[in-house]
Amino acid sequence: MRIEGDVATFGVSDHAQEALGDIVFVELPEIGRTVDAAEAYAVVESVKAVSDSYAPVAGEIIDVNEALESEPEKVNTEPYGAGWIAKVKMSGNSDELMSDDEYTTFLEE
Amino acid sequence: MSTARTSNTYSAVGGIQHEEPLLFEHAHEAAEAISLPGVQGDISAELHAFSRQKPANIPGLSEPETVRHFVRMSQWNHGIETGFYPLGSCTMKYNPRVNEQVVRLSGLANIHPDQPIDSVQGVLALLYELQEWLCEIAGFSDVTLQPAAGAHGELAGLMMIRSCLDARGQQHRKKVLVPDSAHGTNPASAALCGMHCIELKSGADGRIDLDELKKHLDGDVAALMMTNPKTAGAFESDIKEICQLVHDAGGLVYGDGANLNALVGMARPGDMGIDCLHINVHKTFSTPHGGGGPGAGPVVVNDTLAPYLPVPRIVKEGENYRIETQEEQSCGTILGSIGQVGVLLRAHAYIAAFGRNHLHKIAQDAVLNANYVLHRLKDAYHVPFEGLCKHECLLTDEYQNKHGIKTLDVAKQLSDLGFHPMTVYFPLIVHGAMLIEPTETESKATLDSFCDAMLEIAAQCEAGDTQVLHDAPTKPIRRRLDETQAARKPVLVWSD
Amino acid sequence: MRFLPHTDTDRNAMLESMDMDVMSDLFTDIPSEFHLEQGSLDLPDALSEAGIVRKFTKASEQNRHAGNTRCFLGGGTYHHFVPAVVDYVISRGEFLTAYTPYQPEISQGTLQTLFEFQTMIARLTGMDVSNASMYEAATATAEAALMARRVTRKSKVVMAGSVNPRYRSVTQNYLSRLEGEYVEVATHGFSTDVDGIIASIDEDTACVIVQYPDFYGSVYDLAELRVACDAAKCLMVITFSDVTAFALIQSPGECGADIAVGSGQSLGIPMGFGGPHLGLLTCKQKYVRQMPGRVCGMTSDADGKRGFVLTLSTREQHIRREKATSNICSNQGLMCTAAATYMTLMGDEGLKTVATRSAAALHHLLSNLPKHVTAAQGARYNETVLSFVSEEKRSAFLVEARKRDIFAGIPLEQLDTNMAHNHLLVSTTEMIEEADIQDYLAALEVAA
Repeated sequence: MRIEGDVATFGVSDHAQEALGDIVFVELPEIGRTVDAAEAYAVVESVKAVSDSYAPVAGEIIDVNEALESEPEKVNTEPYGAGWIAKVKMSGNSDELMSDDEYTTFLEE
Repeated sequence: MSTARTSNTYSAVGGIQHEEPLLFEHAHEAAEAISLPGVQGDISAELHAFSRQKPANIPGLSEPETVRHFVRMSQWNHGIETGFYPLGSCTMKYNPRVNEQVVRLSGLANIHPDQPIDSVQGVLALLYELQEWLCEIAGFSDVTLQPAAGAHGELAGLMMIRSCLDARGQQHRKKVLVPDSAHGTNPASAALCGMHCIELKSGADGRIDLDELKKHLDGDVAALMMTNPKTAGAFESDIKEICQLVHDAGGLVYGDGANLNALVGMARPGDMGIDCLHINVHKTFSTPHGGGGPGAGPVVVNDTLAPYLPVPRIVKEGENYRIETQEEQSCGTILGSIGQVGVLLRAHAYIAAFGRNHLHKIAQDAVLNANYVLHRLKDAYHVPFEGLCKHECLLTDEYQNKHGIKTLDVAKQLSDLGFHPMTVYFPLIVHGAMLIEPTETESKATLDSFCDAMLEIAAQCEAGDTQVLHDAPTKPIRRRLDETQAARKPVLVWSD
Repeated sequence: MRFLPHTDTDRNAMLESMDMDVMSDLFTDIPSEFHLEQGSLDLPDALSEAGIVRKFTKASEQNRHAGNTRCFLGGGTYHHFVPAVVDYVISRGEFLTAYTPYQPEISQGTLQTLFEFQTMIARLTGMDVSNASMYEAATATAEAALMARRVTRKSKVVMAGSVNPRYRSVTQNYLSRLEGEYVEVATHGFSTDVDGIIASIDEDTACVIVQYPDFYGSVYDLAELRVACDAAKCLMVITFSDVTAFALIQSPGECGADIAVGSGQSLGIPMGFGGPHLGLLTCKQKYVRQMPGRVCGMTSDADGKRGFVLTLSTREQHIRREKATSNICSNQGLMCTAAATYMTLMGDEGLKTVATRSAAALHHLLSNLPKHVTAAQGARYNETVLSFVSEEKRSAFLVEARKRDIFAGIPLEQLDTNMAHNHLLVSTTEMIEEADIQDYLAALEVAA
């Protein structure tokens, strides 16, 4: 997750994309939807596995990466860049942020 | 380890194999249309007003071209008639040809489901007799032939369980306990019934852990769904106690009969306390799999669930048969017909061929074959659960992993050696699962040949001769296919 | 036993290699109280192959069938012509005795056939994509309702009363254990009440399901319904029972369907007393990830050669388990092969001939009806309802028709218990000849 001002960019960690293997599809959330911290906000699919992606922080979805509809492989190749999934206007304060460890745990569950 | 033969003594030796374009690529004008019977008059003016705008663009081929097109494609397939097909939990046994012949009799194949009842007594008699046989073989009191497949049978069974619990005023019971080794259809069927699954962790021996079961048995439990023998090949020896525990907690026990081949004629699930069971006739009773179907999944039930059977049902009155479409407590209608009749009739013929005096030999030889394969392979491949297996045996790729070889590589190499691979990566409870089900219709020579091939692969791993395994298969018409590409940019229809 | 290759010598050698003496040593894990005494089941003794043929032949001869009668029965199952090549192709062991093509390298025959099947079904229905089959039309209709609920994330299902009663009852049953409203819109006369359906749509509506041609054979305009569905952001689902219609009349795609489902039995599959038939499910491209069932896709192999695989499997039960789009696993694979073979033999031209003659036979029959019988009005494909002045008159006609080896129609109340007892659902195909219609009309005259 990357934070600029009150906007957080959600994605899949490098570790998680590697565990999932070749990503073939990302089910993007609807713009305008509000998500709680630790709520599943997107679904990431490889050929033989499906994984929910959990929000590290609460907020409102203000943008989604529609480029993933035609190029889901970006989640593999640039998980922290062009492979982002959603931008979220954060509603909580920093206390609610999950640590990297917690986030990784959520992704693996 | 026994001496492995060299691969050129196995049955896959190459030979004439043809590429064949897609039908849409046959580059010539549509062939002259097939000659057809019928009335050559006009259609009504009213209908004419609704004429299709653009032609469908389905290219017709002449009859000789059509036959060659499909025959060539058929030759890219491996079928049970081509060779050994040891897919675990799929029961790929020989499909008798006489069954194919008799179901094509015009008086069975060309009858309309809504003909007057007096004109279909012959087919109803065969179906009714099958109903009685299935109840007798599985140890239950009644049956529905309607479910179109195993998963559809699961749905029917859970609907009956739902109706039964509702009748008891227990609408709140919505929990379905499912062992973690279960087939994915179990939780999917439960979801369709408005119920949700709780996964039971298997014990160290791959069986249901009674303490784990007790932990989840509360007042919200609707049912336990279980496969016995399990998908890991072992029999649930505590079956009676398991059923008792579930019943004491007010739940019902659903049996997935996918593995009935291990028991047929030897023991009956109905005697063990199970309340209902679907029977995959395309497994145990040898109706052909057809490249994915059709199957049929009749559900046998005990007296507790009999009032809730789906409609329509075939009933006998005196010497006559009729179809009952209304039953007060029925869980409803699940299919647009009384069932996959052609499939059910093949099952009838199969049971008739074994009869009272031979039926148990199915299970005996199936279990013998699985244990024999397990015995021959147990030193070369890791066996996760010790002890007897039933109709299928479970191995893993643990020993091969240290040489960089995975279950998938073993599977692909088998097809180069002339065998269909076993079921891979199922059940999910062990890593790198290889589930082998030889069935009773394979000879000792075939089993030995398969085991030799498996031992050869293991020996290649040990010798570090692994490149050939990574490259496999090389002999079929296509090598490993790119499933990622297929899923990322799905191309599901041809565009000219 | 002729299906078991082992000799007792083999069995003993195998047991001995495992340090076992007798077969029962293999079953010691089953508690002894459950062991059956061998041969104790109440079943008849084994039949020889000749005995099986004799038994089935006898049963077959007790039935009347389309081979020795004239079949005017429809209602979801149709007696179309099946060319010999179709049965030959699906009898080939490589198609017949193969499993689901999960190992694509050695299943390219099944897979390429499925790809061709999907393409031809999509073209015939005018839709973007097709899956690789459902069981049959009634369950396919139920699956379409569930699919529309997933796509729209809404739950109400509006069903036209002119949909085949069997499709309706299965769909209603599938939905009855889930949250959400199910509404059936009553029919006036023997056609579809489009206005009534539109009036039942609201903002919670996930889909509207109409049959086209409807259960009574009526062909009608769906343009207004399409507009209403767009306005309410719900899906228009078309179900059909004789897919040959779309070689002649506007396809579901041309009518604007979001999902089109129905029976493919007419494409080279015998009536078989109700099964196995073939369920079709097609949809617009954008809904493909909510489709139930298996689907085959094009890809390439390690050498870059074109090949086919089952794809989008994450939708399915073996991966998504309780969140799967359906619980379906075994489907009607071989029936897809039959339909693909049939359509290849027919082509556009043959299919159109089948459809035209099916419709022409009905038109010919209706043009010559005696006055004491009335037929439902409006455009009909190959099916309609004949109404008699009384149940007695209908019975008298059915008796006369049987004397002429004619199955003249299905008493409507057999399929829909709400119906009065003086109607017959009548259907024609290209298997009905001029002489059959003359005999039908003669029976009507005699029973007047």
